[in-house]
Amino acid sequence: MDVLTGWWDDYFWGAIVVGQVFMCSLGLMIIFGLLGAMAKLSNSRVAQKIAGAYTVIFRGTPEILVILLLYFGSAITLTAIAQIFNPEIKFVDVPPFWAGTIAISIIVGSYATETFRGAFLGVNPGSIEAARALGMSNLQTFIYVRIPEMWRLALPPFGNHMLSLIKDTALISIIGLNETMFVAKQAITVTGKPFTMYIVVGAIYLGFSTIITLVVMGIEKFGERTTIGAK
Amino acid sequence: MSFDLNLIAESLPLMLMGIGITFKLLIVSGFLGLILAICLLLMRISGRWFLNFPAQVYIYVFRGTPILVQIFIIYYGLPQFEAVRDSIFWPILREPTGCAILALTLNTGAYVSEILRGGVLGVSKGVLEAGSALGMSARQNFIYLTAPIATRLALPAYSNDVISLLKSTALASTITIADMTGIARTIVADTYAPYEIFISLAIVYMIFTFGIQKLFGVIERYLGRYMEREG
Amino acid sequence: MSTADAQPLIQMQGVNKFFGKFQALKNINLEVRKGERIVVCGPSGSGKSTMIRCINRLEEHNDGHIVIGGKELTDQIEDINAVRREVGMVFQSFNLFPHMTIVKNLMLAQQLVRKISKTKARETAMHYLERVKIPEQANKYPIALSGGQQQRVAIARALCMKPEIMLFDEPTSALDPEMINEVLEVMVDLAKEGMTMICVTHEMGFARSVADRVIFMDKGEIVEEAPPTEFFENPRSERTKNFLSQILSH
Repeated sequence: MDVLTGWWDDYFWGAIVVGQVFMCSLGLMIIFGLLGAMAKLSNSRVAQKIAGAYTVIFRGTPEILVILLLYFGSAITLTAIAQIFNPEIKFVDVPPFWAGTIAISIIVGSYATETFRGAFLGVNPGSIEAARALGMSNLQTFIYVRIPEMWRLALPPFGNHMLSLIKDTALISIIGLNETMFVAKQAITVTGKPFTMYIVVGAIYLGFSTIITLVVMGIEKFGERTTIGAK
Repeated sequence: MSFDLNLIAESLPLMLMGIGITFKLLIVSGFLGLILAICLLLMRISGRWFLNFPAQVYIYVFRGTPILVQIFIIYYGLPQFEAVRDSIFWPILREPTGCAILALTLNTGAYVSEILRGGVLGVSKGVLEAGSALGMSARQNFIYLTAPIATRLALPAYSNDVISLLKSTALASTITIADMTGIARTIVADTYAPYEIFISLAIVYMIFTFGIQKLFGVIERYLGRYMEREG
Repeated sequence: MSTADAQPLIQMQGVNKFFGKFQALKNINLEVRKGERIVVCGPSGSGKSTMIRCINRLEEHNDGHIVIGGKELTDQIEDINAVRREVGMVFQSFNLFPHMTIVKNLMLAQQLVRKISKTKARETAMHYLERVKIPEQANKYPIALSGGQQQRVAIARALCMKPEIMLFDEPTSALDPEMINEVLEVMVDLAKEGMTMICVTHEMGFARSVADRVIFMDKGEIVEEAPPTEFFENPRSERTKNFLSQILSH
């Protein structure tokens, strides 16, 4: 373990970057997923088509291609736009953090679209009817019947989406994000111990995955207690 | 900035030269991964802790860490040890393709074994009791009842995993392999035309995804004849 | 298993069964002779299903003795399947093998357990399908059949093994009312031929017409055991009277 001396703080900051990417992409993923689900459930055929294309494209394309495309693509696009205003500009640098974060949230969002849509449709129409029959308003039905039941249906796959997000952050190292993979690469050039350095990265990710799994399990337990009899 | 169709016409044949490697990675690791998954499944359901526990740890570790980290540990990491370089596996582990196949196999094996286990758990307890009541042994129950029913139940999830595997083969490009994505990245580095190259390649991948879905659709319908009321 | 008639086919002595702390069977004593037809009834959770499931060891009893055709069911029993193939069982939810056609459902265990050739197994299968009056469904999958037809197939499947004893675990409870009779008819035929049967059922008409003895269970115990006329006309226990008044009032 001596070879790791001096690298712990680098790994720590790398892990912080992983955490930041995760939090930002989680928020964006939920937004993309909800937009996709709303479009698929809407009455507009155009919206349905767009959402359909969205899920087909990002479920069928390798993650690494999406990340590379967004990173290099946005760089040349932004450069071209910038040159309209100031021809002096040679190149606009896109931060890998945001290119990567947006890319993985778009990808996982395409899976979340199906999860949210399924959860919305999966609510037992009998419960809704029963709530109506009891004289509950639309809003009350939505808050007390639909949301809790949707949440219960969506949580297990949603936990998997979070695990996908955390694991996909590793791919952002390919476009130069300073996260743990990147730290390992630097450490290897100095120490010449690639196995040790990448195992540390693996351990960090395993830690993140474990935390997410435990949190999801905790929420599931909590959900079971508050919606007794919902099963 | 314009979309250069000539460039696509020139580059597409080049990228398609990588099709062989992409398919080799997909088919070889898909096949070996399935065998690994069946072994892990049998360990999981053996009812013996000394088989079940290691399998569970294996699955937990390989599902909890990014595939990119696994590829790097195997390709860059393992040669750190002299024992690996002296072993009979060195001819495989020296080659990036061998490393990619090994990593993809180990990774997909973990996921597929959980999918198969889901199928096994989905087999109705009553059907197995009926087998026992007719005097069938546990082994006969497994071979003639559990295995065929679980296979059919697991197929939809399995086809999704094959698609994930196809997408993961693109990561082979990170360890110098000239699969379709690897070639595309070289072309982009030369031409700096990410949109043309990456989007056309994404379409190629989507066509393959579509093909895989269709293929499994046919298999599902064939194996699922008994699930349709008429026929 | 053609032991002398003096030796009962089924003997249960002081059988107790626990699920965790819950005692499902309390000191069960029961003897069934060859050719006897027993109907077991009682409220849900009274242990009647558990009792017959112990007879072919789908449940393991905790203490007491169960002897089937001279073989005692113990942990050491080297071949439980040898006992099981002499004891046919029909379940409430049919439990047909969903991925096999009807005729394959009937052939599978014959080939695997009785080691009967494919042709012979098919012959036997068709014979019993005709007896339950649905030979024309032989090549369909179970899902294409009605509940009543599926249950008749399940009975035929058990009969294909040429069992000495048939156990019925609420065979008509999962059926729509109009399908109950077609299943009961098959069971009545079977009884007329002298099959040894234990039926858990609430079909009291069936109990009256074919049972040699009716057993009433409650809370894991055998409360009352009597020939049907006595059982229905003149029940001794208060619990039996209560149960009968509830079940016969509708």
